[in-house]
Amino acid sequence: MNPNAYFRQFFTRNGTALGTFLLLSVGFWMFIMILLPQAFMIDFSFRHNLPPAEIGGPQDTYTTEHYEFMVYGSAAAEGEFNTVDLGVFVRTLIAAFFVTLFDLAICYPIAYYLAHSASGGWARLMVLSLIVPFWVNEILRAFAFRIMFGSAGVINGFLMWLGVIDQPYDFIRENVALYAGLGYAFILLMIFPLYNAIESLDRNQIEAARDMGASWIRIHRRIVIPFAKPGISSGCTMVFMLSAGALAAPQILGGPSSLWFTQIIYQWFQTGNNWNRGSAYALILLASTIVFVLVMMKVFKVKLGEIAR
Amino acid sequence: MNSNTISRVFIMGFVLAFFAYLFGPLIIMSITAFNSSAFPRVMPWECFSIEWFDVLIQDDKLMLGLRNSLIIGAGVVLLAVPIGLAGALMLTQVSARLRPWYYTIVISPILIPGVVLGISTLVFWDRVGRMFNTGYESIFYDGIFLTILGQATFISAYSMLVFISRLQRFDPALEEAALDLGATNVQAFRKVLLPFLKPAMGSAAVLAFLASFENYNTTVFTIISESTLTTVLASKVRYGINPSISALAVIIVALTLVGAVFFEIAKRREDRAAKAAAQVAAGGRAQAARTYFAEPALMLFVLIFCAGLGTVYFAGTLGLDECKVAVKEEKKRRAAARIKERETLQMFQRAKPGQETGTGAVPPPQTGEAAKGTEGYQGIFAPGNLEGQVESDTGGEPAKGTEGYQNIFAPDNLEGQVGGDQEQKSTGQ
Repeated sequence: MNPNAYFRQFFTRNGTALGTFLLLSVGFWMFIMILLPQAFMIDFSFRHNLPPAEIGGPQDTYTTEHYEFMVYGSAAAEGEFNTVDLGVFVRTLIAAFFVTLFDLAICYPIAYYLAHSASGGWARLMVLSLIVPFWVNEILRAFAFRIMFGSAGVINGFLMWLGVIDQPYDFIRENVALYAGLGYAFILLMIFPLYNAIESLDRNQIEAARDMGASWIRIHRRIVIPFAKPGISSGCTMVFMLSAGALAAPQILGGPSSLWFTQIIYQWFQTGNNWNRGSAYALILLASTIVFVLVMMKVFKVKLGEIAR
Repeated sequence: MNSNTISRVFIMGFVLAFFAYLFGPLIIMSITAFNSSAFPRVMPWECFSIEWFDVLIQDDKLMLGLRNSLIIGAGVVLLAVPIGLAGALMLTQVSARLRPWYYTIVISPILIPGVVLGISTLVFWDRVGRMFNTGYESIFYDGIFLTILGQATFISAYSMLVFISRLQRFDPALEEAALDLGATNVQAFRKVLLPFLKPAMGSAAVLAFLASFENYNTTVFTIISESTLTTVLASKVRYGINPSISALAVIIVALTLVGAVFFEIAKRREDRAAKAAAQVAAGGRAQAARTYFAEPALMLFVLIFCAGLGTVYFAGTLGLDECKVAVKEEKKRRAAARIKERETLQMFQRAKPGQETGTGAVPPPQTGEAAKGTEGYQGIFAPGNLEGQVESDTGGEPAKGTEGYQNIFAPDNLEGQVGGDQEQKSTGQ
């Protein structure tokens, strides 16, 4: 259909005022807020870090130096890899992966219970109490974990009282607090996709399997999990992307000697004063998390269309 | 039968453990707000006090951040709710071929890390500002303006999802009926679809405000030289903690609980009204709707809340000073005991020939010996002796008062400073 006719139809359908409102708001959102900023950031990451006066001048050419820096470090150390940044990068992805698994493991039983075992009023209370903690500020939630896991915190006190340890264990330095806090932060994003998927499963299927003698594990492996696969993968995708891109929890709960990749990006912006390199690093994070998610989907044979619906 | 009971017990245990994980940290944080100890903790309970709430209210930085957060929240609601509505309506009209593309683009801000969104917004408007050749005081470098835009990028997608799920329950026959009865398209939209979407607007606005209010990842990049509640909180939490932050958490948790209770009750009333309407339609008798005051659960909650508040207020003001004096005395006594113990130790060492204890740094082997020596006494004189030491090396918190010199001999004395330095490195404006 030719675009002119399309627009005419659009305006007769919606009226002038509403049609203009729709086009303007969606256009502003798509182009000014989403697409152009991303495009400008990509462009920006391929340019030299110049003082404001030289921008647009002859010096302002395209370069891949920021991406090379991520791999090789500064030019002085020729031929060697930038082990610090690469190490942090890999560690961040691996940790985010395990945070995702942890969330899946603790949320799946709860989602199943909520969808198929809990009765009316109790289920509603549970849903409400799932949401309530997430209305509390992200920083405050991380702060709560810091109090809990601190050397003078409740967990150390309890373990010492039990006699398991006799010296306070440094949960913050060992990043235990960080992983617990990250897992906590994204529970809601895991549980609701799981719940939505499991809830739509016909209860008769489970009953039938049970009547025919399937064990508890087999029911889950052969019926519930395959059915809930789209929900599982959308939950995992969200948790993985957001925990790899988390900044607040690592800043507050991370041990003094360990960094999260977003903290390196943050440093390039705030103290390193090299926005171009920060943008390049941010793009690396974005691209690699997307690739990782796509690869995982391929491995587990999930189609993108199933998730997006 | 027996195995059934076991599995039920197991499931209930798991559910309980899960909710303990969910609420435990918040409860413990809330308790620390009422301890007069300068470090937020529960265990060595000093005095019950509400002084941290005063400290909180007198914190100008935090109050300024709160004001900015409210402005930004309002701005985001005004921007994100209309955009989300337009985005959802557009989804129903866009041609089938373009639909997946359109959906992918507008849903992507939810998955893109907040850090990336913040950076791209910052870079984009920096370029735009440069294009128009404006100075750094122009709107393109205004933290509040940029933050509203940056947050609205993904919050619009949240509100779009709210509208989409409401639209899915819309019966298109209603609109067709209106059109058949002679309404124009615009009239059908305004009189039929818009009223249907009204509740979704309410929930989208609440969701947008909450998401904006608690956002950190995007805000920290776009805010530039301004501050919001979260950025102020984050810098406070990183560079020295005190329980006034717990006090803020108590306020937020209380507000959240009140909001949740009202939400639940409103929902129940709605359900009941719907049921009553169905009954009337079926020829039954209409029941009078109950007022809020007739909700037993709500009244009970309000009573408990008020009673709790009253108790906290009186207990917090009565006897606080005496208790503080007592705790101070106790601390002094312990500190004196420690000093005395060190002096005896030093005298003991000086008496040994061939060993020199000068001022300043003590050589490593001797430190070990000294530490070993003190260990014996520590158990007797100062049970809480190690605690201050441990705190200062995890928190990067500056040691205060009498606790300052207690860890001169500690072998890991320097480590805390190193940790603190590293954290300071990531400071910035």
